[in-house]
Amino acid sequence: MKHLTTTLVTALALTAVPLATRAEDFPRRTIELIFPWGPGNAMAGSQLLADAMADELGVSMPVISTPGAAGTKAFMIAMNKPADGYTILDGYVAPLVLQPVLGNADWTYDDFIPLHAASSNAFAIGTSAENDRWADFEEMMAYCAEHPGELRYTTGSRNNLPHMVIAKALQSYDCVAQNIPYTANAEGMSDLKNGVLDFGFINVGEFQQNGDNYAIKLVLSELPASAEAFGNAPSIADLDIDLGLSGLAPLGWNWWLVHKDTPPERVEVLRQAMKAATANPEVRAKAAALGFAFLDWDWDQYDEVVGPVAGQLKAMGDALKWEEEELSKL
Amino acid sequence: MLAQSLIQGLDQFFTPLTLILTTLGVIFGLVVGALPGLGPLMGIVLMLPFAVDMPPVSAMGFLIAIGVGGSCGGSISAILLRIPGTPLAAATLFDGYPMAQKGRAADAIGIAISASALGGLFGGLVLILTAPVLADFASNFAPPEYAMLALTGLISIAVVSDGSLLKGLMTGALGLLIATIGTDEFSTGFRFAFHYEMLNGFHIVAIVVGIFAVSEMAQQVQAGNLNEKPTVKPVRPGFRSVLLTLRHWKNLLRSSTIGAAFGALPGVGGTISTFASYAVAKAMSKPEEGYGKGAEGGVVATESANNATVGGAMVPTLALGIPGEAASAVLIGAMLILGFFPGPALFADQPEIAGGIFLVYLFSNVSLLVVGIVMTPVFVWVLRLKKSYLVPVVLLLCAIGTFALQSSVFDLWVMMGFGVVGILLRAGGYPLAPLVIGVILGPLLENNLRRSLLISREGYWIFLDRPVSAILVAANVLLIASAIFWTIRLRKAQRARRAESPD
Amino acid sequence: MMIRKIHAEWLVTLLFVGVVALVFQQAATDMARQGIASGGPYDNAAAYPKAIAALLGGMVALQLALRLLRARSDEGPDAPGVPLRALLRPALMVAIFALYLGSLAPLGYHLTTPLMLAALMLLAGIRNPVAILVPALLISLGFSFVFEAWLKIVLPGGFLHLNIPW
Repeated sequence: MKHLTTTLVTALALTAVPLATRAEDFPRRTIELIFPWGPGNAMAGSQLLADAMADELGVSMPVISTPGAAGTKAFMIAMNKPADGYTILDGYVAPLVLQPVLGNADWTYDDFIPLHAASSNAFAIGTSAENDRWADFEEMMAYCAEHPGELRYTTGSRNNLPHMVIAKALQSYDCVAQNIPYTANAEGMSDLKNGVLDFGFINVGEFQQNGDNYAIKLVLSELPASAEAFGNAPSIADLDIDLGLSGLAPLGWNWWLVHKDTPPERVEVLRQAMKAATANPEVRAKAAALGFAFLDWDWDQYDEVVGPVAGQLKAMGDALKWEEEELSKL
Repeated sequence: MLAQSLIQGLDQFFTPLTLILTTLGVIFGLVVGALPGLGPLMGIVLMLPFAVDMPPVSAMGFLIAIGVGGSCGGSISAILLRIPGTPLAAATLFDGYPMAQKGRAADAIGIAISASALGGLFGGLVLILTAPVLADFASNFAPPEYAMLALTGLISIAVVSDGSLLKGLMTGALGLLIATIGTDEFSTGFRFAFHYEMLNGFHIVAIVVGIFAVSEMAQQVQAGNLNEKPTVKPVRPGFRSVLLTLRHWKNLLRSSTIGAAFGALPGVGGTISTFASYAVAKAMSKPEEGYGKGAEGGVVATESANNATVGGAMVPTLALGIPGEAASAVLIGAMLILGFFPGPALFADQPEIAGGIFLVYLFSNVSLLVVGIVMTPVFVWVLRLKKSYLVPVVLLLCAIGTFALQSSVFDLWVMMGFGVVGILLRAGGYPLAPLVIGVILGPLLENNLRRSLLISREGYWIFLDRPVSAILVAANVLLIASAIFWTIRLRKAQRARRAESPD
Repeated sequence: MMIRKIHAEWLVTLLFVGVVALVFQQAATDMARQGIASGGPYDNAAAYPKAIAALLGGMVALQLALRLLRARSDEGPDAPGVPLRALLRPALMVAIFALYLGSLAPLGYHLTTPLMLAALMLLAGIRNPVAILVPALLISLGFSFVFEAWLKIVLPGGFLHLNIPW
């Protein structure tokens, strides 16, 4: 039934086009996608989808990288732009749900209108391939608990989702380690590979491109598919203790959003274009090569997917606070 | 690895858009080079707002081609009018202008273009062969090395800039402070963010357009002669000039080597390399060649050197992400907006971009040879453009280009503000290049400095514990010490001279 | 009155001093409030700008000292300088350009651009009205065509919403 309605709406939208072009000629110019992180694998994934969507819309869609403040800066910039459909926000979990939960941002996910879910992107904890100090994750944690503050690790930006998840995992083992922030993922990966850092977060894209550089210690997802993407490395499902990370999978999703005051007819144009772009098999194949899987969640699944996450993230936000406090005690 | 990146780059390079934009870039570069007062840097700055909306390799092709065309275009006015269009062509007039006086203007321009293109190709070869090696070596660099490298880049540009060492360092420090505006990556706090559009700092393009282009226009307006229209006879060089140039093949190779080597050194740049290679060519010439009286070799030496410099300058720019001069800094700014970081990771993870940039650079030099020689009459005609029309057009381009970035009125005022700062700095004899280099290198310096300290378990010793970092620390200290030493010696010599000649 | 390089140098010195003061003021107020003005390199965002500002301040002091020394050794002013009225033209150029930037959004591109171009041409010494008006209109239209039709950038329409549908 829903499928039928969608088809009807699309058909109506299509017949309305000749009329609408006179009254409402959208889009007429470049649409910007505000991306909350620095350039790297994730941005390449967003650019890929943006390009496919641009082909659907017939205007260009540059991805504007505005990293900072765990992604909240991008949100502030996007919210201050006019609600005219020419600004799309790449809504990652951290700035969309986590930062408001932590009290670092004054919006909720209700302040945005979803276009479509974009992609999921699992990640893992790994060390340099040459690092043989620890046989497995639990050994590393045991070492860490005995030597508080000695280990260095990175999650890319500070206070992002991987940082939160890893902080929660470390807290469960009473491991205090120093997080090292990086603007560009590639720099952090280089330092991890060269052994300057003891461990770090590794996303699927990086693993698939440069897997030989790393030894994966723990995949931070219960999904068998995620462990498979990391060469069947051990995952949180294999651990004896509960890290409190279950039920959240897939962790690294993002939704593309627009300002809630955006005119509905423009939202509709964007939604249809994005849906078509994510469904394009050629684009999906390219995304898979980068380590991304597009999500098929529709705009009306937004509340159902995003809503419950807030409560679950609260516990992880506390882990970040715990880490800060423990580090300042050292 | 090299062949692979070139092959992968071929896909990026061989698109109609890239080929057309690269050729257009060469043409635009030749025009801005020929027009006195503008130059390759200004050309790149003015087109920057448009380039950042294009696919990466096409955009880089466009911008690099402007640099390539601009480095050659200055020779046209040097030869015909005895006014170098850019400082790069200042040494070209030693022999180029006498050649024109003897009725060989077409040959002189033809040789200048051929030597530029061939020197540029040589520089490209150097780039392709050395940049991947350097990037590979640098792939083991960690935060301490990058922090020290950023300092080296900044200090060397301050040392070599016009004006005093102190002034260069001061504008460099101002650039570093400007770079701190916005969100701090480490604490996730905000610094100097008085307006929500400052959360991300000032847009680099607005800064660069203001500081270079707006201030340059003010200078032109103040200099006067806005309605001068030089009389130039039409000139039509032919492809025969390539053969004339190749007759000087030893000189060509030697000067291109000097140019490429000087280009790769941070801070040195094209102007110095042209004078150096001219001096060497003159010293090695036979008396009957008549250097200074219209020798072909003089034009070959300077023009091959300044275009080889472009290729050489791109070596540290691409391989390390450290710009050697202002134009490279602007190119790095463009790369960051286009979504890729120059440095070892570029060669490892995105070899197709690195390869594509190599190819557009080579192609822009081939294009320079063809377009330059065929279209010379156009560039000669351009010399007749009055500044009274040029200045308004450039200012309009500044305004609309900056607005086009993100439809922000705030950016316009940032540009205007930096325009005024640029005017002040120029008037006070402060070099502008260190400021822009400071803005580009600022985040690299601060983040790697703080990262090093976080990683280190014994504070600042981390900079001396690692061999490469320790060498760079020593180099930085040496650079500053020798610059101070020379400044004092120069001052003393000046004072002595003044005391001898009481006027 | 003659304007010499030293006058501009004093203005730049003032600019630098202002910047240095601003850095320390912000570190002591805004950054302290955010809790990012103390602690180690992980949390302290103020230490680096303060260090650079202190360095800049030190260089300003050194430069002032050198300037005084040089004045006393009676080396005299370095350049002949330019008369104040020679700066009228660049100052007017900056004023016209600033006025243009300020009126671009409220009045729109098509209303302000030909005026700005014409004013600058007049300033640059062109006196023939035809040689001003025709190029000003053509350049303005030509630019709007390139930007709007080719580059798909919507130029400010102003209160009249003047946009040419190319």
